[in-house]
Amino acid sequence: MTRTSRVFQHAVLLLFALYALVPVYLVVLASLRSEADLFSGPLTLPWPIDIGNFRRVWFESGFSQFFVNSLMISTGSTLLVMLTAPLAGFAFAKLKFPGKEILFGLFLAGLVVPAPSVIVALYGDLQMLGLLNTRIGVILPQAALLLPFSIFMMRTVMEDVPDDLLEAATIDGATLFETFTKVVVPIVKPGLLSLALIAFLFSWQEYLLPLVVIQDETLKPLTVGAATLQGRYGVDYGGIAAAGIIAFAPIVVLFLVLQRSFVRGLTAGAVK
Amino acid sequence: MVAVFPCHPQPWDMFMYNSRQALLFVLPALLLYVAFVAVPILQVAAYSLFSWDNGSIKAFSGLGNYQRLTSDGVFWTALGHNAIWAVLTLCFPLMIGLVLASILAERSPRTIRLMSALYFLPRTIPLVVAGIIWGWIYNPIFGLLNYVLDLIGLGSLGGAWLAESGSALLSLNAAGAWTFYGFCVLIYLSAIQSIDPSLYEAASLDGAGWGQRFRFITVPLLKSTTLFLGLYAAIEAMRFFDLVWVTTQGGPGYDTEVLTTHIYKTFFLVGDFGYAAALSVVLLAIVLTIGGLSYRILSQS
Amino acid sequence: MKTNKTHMRRLQATLSLMVMATASGAMAEPVPVVQWDQFSNAGITAAGPAMEELIKVCEAALPDVNIERTVVPSIGIRESYRLAVSADKTPDLGYTWPAASVLAGYARTGKVAPLNSYYDKYGWDNVNAFYRGRNSYQGKLYAVPMEQDLMGVYYNKAMFAELGLEVPKTYAEFKTVVDKIKEAGKIPIAFGNRDRWPATNTLSLILGLTAGRAEEEKVFFGEEPWTNPKFKLAAETFQQWGKDGYFPKGFNGIGYDEANALFLGGRAAMNITGTWVLQDMARGAKFDLGVFMLPPISDGVPPGTMWGEGSQWQVSAAASDAAKDAAASYINCLTSKENRKTWVEKGYLVPIGTTAEDLKAWNTMPVVKDFYAEGLKTPDTNFYDLHTTVPESVTQVLYPELQKLASGDETPDSFLAAIQASWQAAIANGERWVP
Repeated sequence: MTRTSRVFQHAVLLLFALYALVPVYLVVLASLRSEADLFSGPLTLPWPIDIGNFRRVWFESGFSQFFVNSLMISTGSTLLVMLTAPLAGFAFAKLKFPGKEILFGLFLAGLVVPAPSVIVALYGDLQMLGLLNTRIGVILPQAALLLPFSIFMMRTVMEDVPDDLLEAATIDGATLFETFTKVVVPIVKPGLLSLALIAFLFSWQEYLLPLVVIQDETLKPLTVGAATLQGRYGVDYGGIAAAGIIAFAPIVVLFLVLQRSFVRGLTAGAVK
Repeated sequence: MVAVFPCHPQPWDMFMYNSRQALLFVLPALLLYVAFVAVPILQVAAYSLFSWDNGSIKAFSGLGNYQRLTSDGVFWTALGHNAIWAVLTLCFPLMIGLVLASILAERSPRTIRLMSALYFLPRTIPLVVAGIIWGWIYNPIFGLLNYVLDLIGLGSLGGAWLAESGSALLSLNAAGAWTFYGFCVLIYLSAIQSIDPSLYEAASLDGAGWGQRFRFITVPLLKSTTLFLGLYAAIEAMRFFDLVWVTTQGGPGYDTEVLTTHIYKTFFLVGDFGYAAALSVVLLAIVLTIGGLSYRILSQS
Repeated sequence: MKTNKTHMRRLQATLSLMVMATASGAMAEPVPVVQWDQFSNAGITAAGPAMEELIKVCEAALPDVNIERTVVPSIGIRESYRLAVSADKTPDLGYTWPAASVLAGYARTGKVAPLNSYYDKYGWDNVNAFYRGRNSYQGKLYAVPMEQDLMGVYYNKAMFAELGLEVPKTYAEFKTVVDKIKEAGKIPIAFGNRDRWPATNTLSLILGLTAGRAEEEKVFFGEEPWTNPKFKLAAETFQQWGKDGYFPKGFNGIGYDEANALFLGGRAAMNITGTWVLQDMARGAKFDLGVFMLPPISDGVPPGTMWGEGSQWQVSAAASDAAKDAAASYINCLTSKENRKTWVEKGYLVPIGTTAEDLKAWNTMPVVKDFYAEGLKTPDTNFYDLHTTVPESVTQVLYPELQKLASGDETPDSFLAAIQASWQAAIANGERWVP
């Protein structure tokens, strides 16, 4: 490769790294500023760092509660997905039963369902079940909407489990469920971790579902909280920026620490 | 997430007889899915056959709500924007993703890890927050974009990016691309890494430059990945909502109106549940068609 | 549903118990009233502290009332309330916007309770004929309006003095003032329409001052189409303001709060908006804040301003009789003369029926007193707010069309034609509100 083309390639890589980072830098910058006018000063980080905006939204605008709610809702949905999708994925990958392909097709169709198109009816159903304005009322449909992808991914993962291990377990007299928990689960642990991360990521980012289901300020997750900050307290860019960072920082940390699992989950099924 | 690739079922023969237990394995997921996805879809389909007044059923109206579609200019405008969004996404994030991935693939594992994490970073940010950030970048008064243009002496190019007819949808799409191209890089990267390295080595020995290897090895061999991402992008282009809602709410005028915002307004703001349901059914039909097509195409490739 | 019914039965039982208990002089068990309101502590309708205090005051005064309060942010309350109604979970007592047009929709479908008997019982003389009309549907009263909303022109007195400007008495003078501000390199009118609703207020004000209330009523309640010459003049005027640089550049991309900040930060000389941000304006202005009313634009149109009710108290038709009674007595308490003072002093919210004299006596900022003194001078000519007068289906056309009109992407004629089309569709659909 020539030197110039190598330099050019570096430039392209860096340019798009900037594209990713500049907006993030901007929101970090805004969160550390107190001026009403967002970017009137120099575009360098202020020093010493002032975390007044964070303290304010965390303690005064209810973001400590929003954070707990996001955590509960995302954990709940993730748990629910983890309790159901691996079992189903295993059945679709390794077992034979009547109607299997039709059922799988039914789940597959769910991959494309847009949340806005079910919310119209979901609201009334949740009301009937007494789940409106509760965290469970977000968790259940959230998990259900995540199932198609999760089951698809689990089926792919489960297919890699060697059949002879399953057979050996059966010969040892294990029931099907025991085989699943004692033989299959330990083998597919990395896949399960990936699924849990993806499910958590998507639940954490969901906006429309909790927006519609929850009215109570004390039950709202971060996404809804951050969106309602806009225009509600006059111009408070610092506060909104701090709120935004609270809303995405945990996921960024999780992603950076567990990058490999994340990537495995995201690419599952896409590339074979 | 959409990942519609055919699997090769390898039934585990030992359990062929065990159909009841197998169903029990599927049952919890099925119950949850039916209760909160399948049934609501059927309900929405039923809603669309009635006329509604402010959230209450007025009368059975047959296909009346669907007839309205033909004369609803906003619906067609929105649909057009969804289509433009899909095309823009195919042009920009997908191509960038492919180029970045093929450059990155030749770097050290550490560089790959670092850079792909950077590119993917925006995807970890909830779209609501992404919308707020990009709203600031495009803001006509203090927006960063106008500020930078001013600095480099191009201040006359500045504008109210999200508030002008010509630039609104494009500007919004650049924000959407921001959250998507990193995903494309990841997918392409893992596809490239599964290509037999000897192909590249052979090509290099024959004197092929980077450009030629890209053109004659990477691009053709990643056809199915591109297809997957393209269909994924098309489906996402039909479904996206958060980003528009927190930035422009479909404005200025109808310039960034998409199907989901039209549904949201018809449902929540006008209270016409019947027509909102009909719009939802149409949206669902479109995404299911794209989804079905993808499944078929990807199964064949 | 089931729990709702048992709940109601329990309430009825409570009621009969209560009647007996009161007769025998014992303490009654309080009736729970589920209340949704939008009083936050800052921003639009920032009367949260006043609301909190008045709940305590009224619960103490009315031992049989127990308020269960939920704060629903002002931006989302329309959506939330509609969803609740559709799921038969209407809160016993709601305080929602936009007023007349939406209220009519709920009255039409029998979701909110008629309140005539309570009007008879409590009098509520503070609600004048205009406001009674706005809270009626087919002859019955369905709500008790509370906030007295007015539109006016906030202005920066210091900047006016610096530029040697006087408060304009005529529209011609107003235009001169704008030109001079522009020449001085300042933004004449802080205006941001990204949120889409602010332009409905601006147009309402212009409309009332070009067409006048009588002409408005011919269109809103009669057969006159929107495409009449006077409405056209209003649309032209609004568009001309946009073209002539009355507003900041890129106003369709500026948020309502950002526009207010432009004014408060001294970059714009005037801000044409309503009393609903009085608190933020009064608190945020570091300069001497003044208010004047926009002079009539057409010859022969009397002075006046846009007024309305910010929101109104409405009672669910599905509430038990006991809850309805309790809610009505509570509304009566909230709007009583002595409690109006609390709204004003603690909430910067001026309840309907408050007079300029009342305000003079109470402890509030001069700008509050001035605003109401000016706006309440012209009760007979004050006119309508489009946003709260047209049905929601028309509002949803008005929003985008107004963005296009203001930016010059659409002619006044095609703007009015679009509104007229949706207006006719709404009428055909039985959505029109007529007092």
